[in-house]
Amino acid sequence: MERDTIRRLELLNQLRLTDSQKDDVMAFFAKREDDLKALEKIDTAETERMVHVMPIMTVVREDTVSQNFSREALQAGAPETDEGYWCVPKVVE
Amino acid sequence: MNAYAVKKNVSSDKIIVADDMMLTVDMPTTAGSKMLDGYMSLLESEALTRLKAEGYVLGGKADVGEFAIDLLGETSSRGALFADGALKNAAAQIVASGEASAAICLDANGSVRRAAAQSGLISLKPTYGTVSRYGVIPVACSGDTVSILADNTDTCGNIIDVIAGHDAKDGTSLSDELCSKLKKSAEYSPVRRVALLTSMTDGIDADVKAKLDAAVEALTKSGVEVVSVENEIIASARPAWNVLMSAELCNNVSRYDGVKYGYRAQSFNGIDELYTNSRTEAFGDLLKTAIIFGSETLSTENYMKVYDKCLRVRRVIVEEFAKIFGEFDAILMPTCSSLSYTEEQIANNRHLAFEENFYTAPASISGLPAVVAGGVQLVGSAFTERALLTAAKIIAKEGR
Repeated sequence: MERDTIRRLELLNQLRLTDSQKDDVMAFFAKREDDLKALEKIDTAETERMVHVMPIMTVVREDTVSQNFSREALQAGAPETDEGYWCVPKVVE
Repeated sequence: MNAYAVKKNVSSDKIIVADDMMLTVDMPTTAGSKMLDGYMSLLESEALTRLKAEGYVLGGKADVGEFAIDLLGETSSRGALFADGALKNAAAQIVASGEASAAICLDANGSVRRAAAQSGLISLKPTYGTVSRYGVIPVACSGDTVSILADNTDTCGNIIDVIAGHDAKDGTSLSDELCSKLKKSAEYSPVRRVALLTSMTDGIDADVKAKLDAAVEALTKSGVEVVSVENEIIASARPAWNVLMSAELCNNVSRYDGVKYGYRAQSFNGIDELYTNSRTEAFGDLLKTAIIFGSETLSTENYMKVYDKCLRVRRVIVEEFAKIFGEFDAILMPTCSSLSYTEEQIANNRHLAFEENFYTAPASISGLPAVVAGGVQLVGSAFTERALLTAAKIIAKEGR
């Protein structure tokens, strides 16, 4: 794990880490690399992926409204709104 | 303040508490994060709705660690809860004190089971898909399970009877036919043979060893055969679960951007800084580390080598469990390495939750039911909750 990689991951995840947090992340990765080496010993060449542990099928249902909320209720927890719109800084100059 | 918003003047023997991963409409839900400080949901957890319909009263909310990935709640934005030098879990403290008969909690990384083991309580993590995840803040969707903390097995049994069942609002909810196997009325085969998984006893201290010995003795006295079994593959669940959990977590918390709800930074210059500053200021260290790790496992370079590998390891682990359940009715193993975590331990190893889940990851990654009693854990095959609770009753009576 290089510092450049951490910087890329910070940007990707919209986060900014302090130097001390970066050290912490690097220590975490070092431990996990040892873990992953242990996993390599498990032969999975003939094994299929298991995404769901239970027999779960894709859910198909009628496209009908079952629960409705007002715009005011939906925006009640928003940091900033204006006349029913969520506010963000100007994106296009 | 770790247990908060407890309603006063509630007189009921059916008072329950919900941990702060369960959405509630009349109390804030924060997931233990500054990101959701004061957040009021429009939706309620399906499990709580079903309990209320059966006369249970929500007495209040219990604090959790940030997005429930830590040991017992120490990463909450409200701070860690210590008593007598030991780290405590808020929901377990409330139940142990008798303020509530049970707690409904999210088991994402084993915190509920560790809390039960260290507080002398019972916990039931049911089979994945039997309790709706609707109205629960998602962490690691493929393993997230609504779980129960109580001071006796009967209460766990009564509550699972109410909350288990199909819910069309949860895409991973199993059919009523399968869920009915958890009901009180369901017939079940009692636990007669138990595998003591010795490969899962690495690193346990003398107190935990004593709990395991007491559980073996209690089961044996009641006529259950306990046989030592080695299985190194099940013991490898931890690294695989750490990858899958972190990857899913990274995706799930990407929704918190400081725009539609939740915390927004006061100072920013442009939309990218709004996102970055809000997330940087609101998220804690362990969560940031897990996000970065999860994101890296999903990168083009690592996807096949790491993430895909862990999905295949998951199947290998599930198959190993199936082999054991071909011969045994349940597996006995520790829940944690120690019966308490000190402030010094937490300070010296900020990633302890990703190591201590060695004991809880096997049931998390495989979606199998697990009951904690007398400080130890019984894991069964899918839908064997009734049998596990009956065996746990023997352990709880004799081993605590």
